[in-house]
Amino acid sequence: MPAISTEAKVGLFVLIGLVVLAYMSFRVGQPGFGLKRGYDVSAVFDNVSGLEKGSAVQMAGVEIGQVESIELKDGKAVVKLRIRPDVRLDRNVRAAIRTHGVLGDKYLEVMPGSLIPGEKSAYLKEGETIQYTERQADIDRLLSQVTLIADDIKNVTSSLSNTLGTPEGEESIRKILYNVRDFSENLNRVVARNDENFTEMVTNLKSASKEMERTFAALSQITDEVNQGKGTVGTLLKDKSVADNLNKTLAALNDISKKINEGRGTIGRLVNDEETVDNLNESLSGISRYINKAEQFRTFLSYRGEYLFDRSDAKNYLELRIQPKQDKFYLLGLVSDPKGRRQTIETTSNGVTTTTTEYNQDKLLFSAQIGKRFKDLVLRGGLFENYGGLGMDYYMLNDKLRLTFEAFDFGRGSNRQTHVKGYGEYRLIKHVYLSAGWDDPFNTSTSSPFVGFSIKFEDEDLKYLLTTSPIPR
Amino acid sequence: MQDMIQLKDIHKSFGAQKVLDGLDLNIEDGQTTVIIGRSGGGKSVLLKHIIGLIRPDSGQVVVDGEDITKLNDKQLNEVRKKFGMLFQEGALFDSMTVGENVSFPLVEHTKMTDEEIRQVVAERLKAVGLTGVEGKMPSELSGGMRKRVALARAIALHPQIVLFDEPTTGLDPVLTEAINQLIIDTQRNLNLTCIVISHDIESIFRVGHKIALLYGGKIIEYGTPEEIRASKNPVLVQFLSGSTEGPIQIM
Amino acid sequence: MKGFLSLIDNLGKAVLRNVEEAGKILLLFFSVLSWAVRPPLKFKNIMKQMEFVGVKSIFVVVLTGTFTGMVMALQGYHGFRMFSAESLVGSTVALGMTRELGPVLTSLMVTARAGSAMAAELGSMRVTEQIDALYVMAANPIQHLIVPRIIAGIAMVPILTVVSDFVGIAGGYFVGVHVLQINEGLFLKNITKLVTLNDIYNGLVKAACFGLILSLVGCYKGFNTRGGAEGVGRATTEAVVLASISILVADYFLTAIMF
Ligand SMILES: Nc1ncnc2c1ncn2[C@@H]1O[C@H](COP(=O)(O)OP(=O)(O)OP(=O)(O)O)[C@@H](O)[C@H]1O
Ligand SMILES: [Mg+2]
Repeated sequence: MPAISTEAKVGLFVLIGLVVLAYMSFRVGQPGFGLKRGYDVSAVFDNVSGLEKGSAVQMAGVEIGQVESIELKDGKAVVKLRIRPDVRLDRNVRAAIRTHGVLGDKYLEVMPGSLIPGEKSAYLKEGETIQYTERQADIDRLLSQVTLIADDIKNVTSSLSNTLGTPEGEESIRKILYNVRDFSENLNRVVARNDENFTEMVTNLKSASKEMERTFAALSQITDEVNQGKGTVGTLLKDKSVADNLNKTLAALNDISKKINEGRGTIGRLVNDEETVDNLNESLSGISRYINKAEQFRTFLSYRGEYLFDRSDAKNYLELRIQPKQDKFYLLGLVSDPKGRRQTIETTSNGVTTTTTEYNQDKLLFSAQIGKRFKDLVLRGGLFENYGGLGMDYYMLNDKLRLTFEAFDFGRGSNRQTHVKGYGEYRLIKHVYLSAGWDDPFNTSTSSPFVGFSIKFEDEDLKYLLTTSPIPR
Repeated sequence: MQDMIQLKDIHKSFGAQKVLDGLDLNIEDGQTTVIIGRSGGGKSVLLKHIIGLIRPDSGQVVVDGEDITKLNDKQLNEVRKKFGMLFQEGALFDSMTVGENVSFPLVEHTKMTDEEIRQVVAERLKAVGLTGVEGKMPSELSGGMRKRVALARAIALHPQIVLFDEPTTGLDPVLTEAINQLIIDTQRNLNLTCIVISHDIESIFRVGHKIALLYGGKIIEYGTPEEIRASKNPVLVQFLSGSTEGPIQIM
Repeated sequence: MKGFLSLIDNLGKAVLRNVEEAGKILLLFFSVLSWAVRPPLKFKNIMKQMEFVGVKSIFVVVLTGTFTGMVMALQGYHGFRMFSAESLVGSTVALGMTRELGPVLTSLMVTARAGSAMAAELGSMRVTEQIDALYVMAANPIQHLIVPRIIAGIAMVPILTVVSDFVGIAGGYFVGVHVLQINEGLFLKNITKLVTLNDIYNGLVKAACFGLILSLVGCYKGFNTRGGAEGVGRATTEAVVLASISILVADYFLTAIMF
């Protein structure tokens, strides 16, 4: 028997895999199978929560179809049902949403309706709507209400238990109860013992009231006399100077309150001083400005890797971007370039000076830039990979796409051209970016197209660390 | 005579170890240059510089007028198509049969039919004294056979420049002579530029048009076999006589 | 103060090194992509790798898949019996296999078998100068060695996963229906009812991602081997560890995205 070739083995293996996959897909996809030829009817419900596309439709416990789609129309749920072709539904059937199984699956139950006398029986046709639907007992809402009530009760009981449940609370309740008991006992005793006294007291009271009548009469007589300026009190009150004094005192009082109102005196000043209010306002706004500042202040950390095709090597960037204002930022970066840091060494031998260029591969390169944004354009300047330079970014598509152009390392000596770099970067999903461009096109040995990948995220904590707290005055 | 390869002021260190220290060497077109030197002296490293497997720390490697240290991968690939190389340890692909190994450059870079390739492979193997081993795996061969298969692979395409890293080490005297003859013949017939590293004194003088002695990271002697024989350089004298006394210290 | 600074320095270097490695693996992936679309594809190499990664892993995958399904059925049975819901055992096994265990176990098995072999093979090619020999013959090692392995990884792991899913469910069926005497009809009905096509397909997408991860990591570690036989051993171990961890981490994120 000839050995089976590699290709044959692989082919057979793939074939087996596909057959198994097809078999599993077929078995799993089965519920909807055979329903292709069925017909659609719809039913309108107030609430279909829990019902899903593909949920079963049953009649008398027999599956007769499945939910094809659920749509919202005028605030109600329109459920489209795909019914098996061999099942015919009476025109007056009722539909309801029910639950079954341990999993609490929802399904749609279709029940035969009662025949309305005089109406001829007919069947639902494709596209027609079931007339009668039962409201789903809104257990969810009920439950939520019950929860609310339970919460209230709990609040009350918990505050009660907070006051009473503590040992002191218990103690005071016990005391109160004791007191009440003692009091009623005492009362009883007093009442029993002083039965006679009571009667006496009552008679006393009676006579006292008579006495009082008399007293009142006397009193009214005195007031009359006062009014007429008789007696000591009378003279006092009727004397003109006394009244004047009184008036004066009142006026002074009035004056003080006025002064308070006008903001004079210590309290008044405190209450009325404009400056205090200003100060207060200002410190409030200062706080809010500080908070605003912290809000505006943002820091971003990012990593970017670039694969240089023609150099078959990668450049890595680690960057911290500090953005104190919306339109201004500082950029600090570490760059690892496989080529390393360039060093120019001048050697003089026999009076001839030769300049050699070497690359120190262990060294990291640094970037430090300041940038400002004008609408969609950003201008940057500073250190680019250890050399001075300028950069420009243009943002498009709501900042999703960034086009960047950088030029640096201008004085590279006679045989080196300025290092130029241009690329586009696109935000693929949140935090993840893809980029592509060309690095250093004017220097053949290092020129290369590249693709890159970067991760950026904003650091929320760093910003509070970095914002100093200059609360104004 | 024109220079095919020029090495200018090559410096190379591995960590603290300085292997090449300002090496200058010109390889003439259509000639065989033999490089000799003590074991561990940097001969293999030098060969790898010529083909761009190692980049120098500084200096230039000019091949056919082009400084290959400045080239990117794609351009370097083009330059390498001019080369064939025999590695010191053979470097046969051990997942491939001997036949597949030798035919590898042919399949990669020519449009020959399977039949043509088979013929060329058989021919090259025969030239190195092997027949009927196409179906064997490299692990089933002896060390000397492996070296010869690698040699067959290196010259399979008849490249313009061939680098041999110790082609005869580990072979018996008869085979050594045969391989030397093979190198001489192929070189002459196709007018190749060959660079041969060898420790075998007889082979050196038989094969080389020019001989270069690598010592202390530099080429310290360079010349025709006659000049080399006549040289009084103590290093060279010790090297050729195989004496343990002289400037070359064993330890 | 000096000690503190050097601590920061070392910490920074370690972070940068790891980030750099992750970046390098990703960039290897990009260059694999660029070579994968550049003809000629090394069809023969691809077939060879597919045979190695796929066909030769069947046995171990079938073995682990079957036993996993059987164990799940056994364990699930004891849990579900408390609710008299034994018939859900089948769907639990099926969902567990298709969504999680099929892809993850298969790719861990393939990592151990093939991912390690990739690292070892490329590693020994590196230290015996075979990769240099490829460069010298103006042949790109990524195209010749890495692209076929990665294609094989991406294509074969999902197929192995299908097999694993199937034998796992079959194992669960055997234990559930024949050993534990669960009603066969209910057992099967619950599987077909609760498992959706998406469960299967998402599981396969996961498997493809894991196949990519294990082959990429294996190739990366092998390709960058340094230092003789010892280096090859180190590369192999590192490849298995890194690939396994990456698979488990990626599994979390893929699950979060998909389900
Ligand atoms: N990739 C490398 N990394 C570190 N050191 C290396 C590397 N390659 C070579 N060396 C060192 O460079 C030196 C020169 O090595 P090379 O292989 O060139 O010697 P050689 O002259 O070919 O010796 P031999 O005749 O024994 O083959 C050795 O000391 C070796 O340790
Ligand atoms: Mg050597």
